[in-house]
Amino acid sequence: MAAVVRAFLGYFFLVFIVRIVGRRPGKQMTPFEFVLIFFIGGLALTAMVGDEVSFTNAICQIITIGFAHYTLAWARTKSQRLARVVDGTPLILLEHKAWRTHTLRHMRISDNDVMASARDSGLKTLGQVDRAVLERNGEISISPMQATPRKA
Amino acid sequence: MATKSFSEPVEESVSKVNNEVEVGEDLDFQRKWWRFENVVWAVFTLIIVLDLCGVFGRGPVAKAERRTADGTIDVKYERIERTDSPSILTVRLGQPAIVHGQIKLYISQSLVQGLGTQRIIPAPQATEIGNGGLTYTFLATKPPASVDLALQPSGPGLYEFTIGVVGAQPVHAKVFVVP
Repeated sequence: MAAVVRAFLGYFFLVFIVRIVGRRPGKQMTPFEFVLIFFIGGLALTAMVGDEVSFTNAICQIITIGFAHYTLAWARTKSQRLARVVDGTPLILLEHKAWRTHTLRHMRISDNDVMASARDSGLKTLGQVDRAVLERNGEISISPMQATPRKA
Repeated sequence: MATKSFSEPVEESVSKVNNEVEVGEDLDFQRKWWRFENVVWAVFTLIIVLDLCGVFGRGPVAKAERRTADGTIDVKYERIERTDSPSILTVRLGQPAIVHGQIKLYISQSLVQGLGTQRIIPAPQATEIGNGGLTYTFLATKPPASVDLALQPSGPGLYEFTIGVVGAQPVHAKVFVVP
């Protein structure tokens, strides 16, 4: 029974830690973030499993984590407030050729990260970016400048 | 029989700004979250410092020592243990502990059950049960002499133990086992 409780608490603790550490995992994952994800995963595994290495324990803990994940996903659809707490909200990083420096600093994102996403969208300079948004999944979405029609 | 199709027409349910779908940014919420994050980072820092000090075991604060006034025994142990983590409790025995070339060391049952004694080093010559614990007999010559108990607590909680030489003043101590 304790193993199931450990898995349940461990799941919510990891969700909390990943939310606090930042919204960078995802498409922006660098080798430095890989270390974080694998290290946290390995350490969590040690504490969750302990010395109970039986097949029964593994099945029960996997089902528990699946149940916890399903519950959280369902609760997010029912409560807008919970969805904001769990996922956060999209954040504008660059708009109308101006950086949102406060947001960049707090989200620990540099202009190079935005430029990497701009290149991914086929843009060559930041001047071509109309708006860069840090999405809830950690991806930076880029809206290019609209081409102004030439006057005849 | 025709099946009912579960579909609804698409409506512009997401609000728009300048004929574009709104990003959905909520800076008021985000500022509150950033303040909350700062508090959490302060708590995390405190936890790391406390852990380095040994408040959660395995550090200077966790180490403890108890001795009897007559110098029969001196017990070095960890007042904060961790579940399923091994540690050593060392009993140093003074000259009054050796009687006729033998040391009879009593340990309470809580050291075996709660704190999970796995091994006794050296192995005793004889073991007697009774008085709510175990009495081990060791052959001894002269001090310094010591006995180590390898502990591995199986669950969290507060445990009180007694350890002493038969016929002399014992040592009582408490150990808190964290999960």
